[in-house]
Amino acid sequence: MGFAAAFGASFGAVLRYAITNYGKKHWMKQSVFPWPTLLINLTGAFLLGLLFRLKLGVFWYALLGSGVLGGYTTFSTLNVEMLSLADSGQRRTLKHYLLASYLGGLALVTVGYALGGL
Amino acid sequence: MEATKKYLSVAFFAFLGGAARYGLNQQFSFYGTFAGNILGCFLLAFLTYLFLKITTTKDWLVTGLSTGFVGAFTTFSSFNLDTLKLLAAGQSLGALLYFLLSILCGFFFAFLGKKATLAVSQKMIERS
Repeated sequence: MGFAAAFGASFGAVLRYAITNYGKKHWMKQSVFPWPTLLINLTGAFLLGLLFRLKLGVFWYALLGSGVLGGYTTFSTLNVEMLSLADSGQRRTLKHYLLASYLGGLALVTVGYALGGL
Repeated sequence: MEATKKYLSVAFFAFLGGAARYGLNQQFSFYGTFAGNILGCFLLAFLTYLFLKITTTKDWLVTGLSTGFVGAFTTFSSFNLDTLKLLAAGQSLGALLYFLLSILCGFFFAFLGKKATLAVSQKMIERS
């Protein structure tokens, strides 16, 4: 199971890196708001809630849940981005990013979980 | 070529980061995820601010360690799911504590990571 999770994390992280590179080039020209990470974390939270509820079995959950989605989403980048917004005095953006990430994440994991039960 | 190298590096180091996170979670359940997330915030801030001061020709290694290893070591989706699981189990106080402590400690440890970089780079300047 450890191997499945590690392999999945590798795949998820590459996807995160690709989206971040694309997003930095195309969505962050005029704004400092970290759209790529927000999109990644919110979609990942939604999908994990859904996946968990679907009760796929240990192997598939390790590969797709703990692995792919765990490696796809990131807690550390979110916090370093908030730190950098604080450094550059972008308090409003920081506040919006914090609320959107944490309240949005909790809301979306719940929605995913509810949808999985239908 | 340089881009391909970075993608391979991210994949390789994320394998290690994901394995470490999975191991922590197997051993300590959501306490493991919490500890990993907080430690990861420190590490990523440390690496990020360190490589703003130090220039290196090995960009692929920096990307691999930060985006790959630490990025995959920490997780946002499990953090949210763990909070929901606690709520669903009727442990509202536990859920609130887990949620708020992760938010506060995450930011505080990222701040500490940045401070640690400043201390280290100061030492390096003094030595040279």
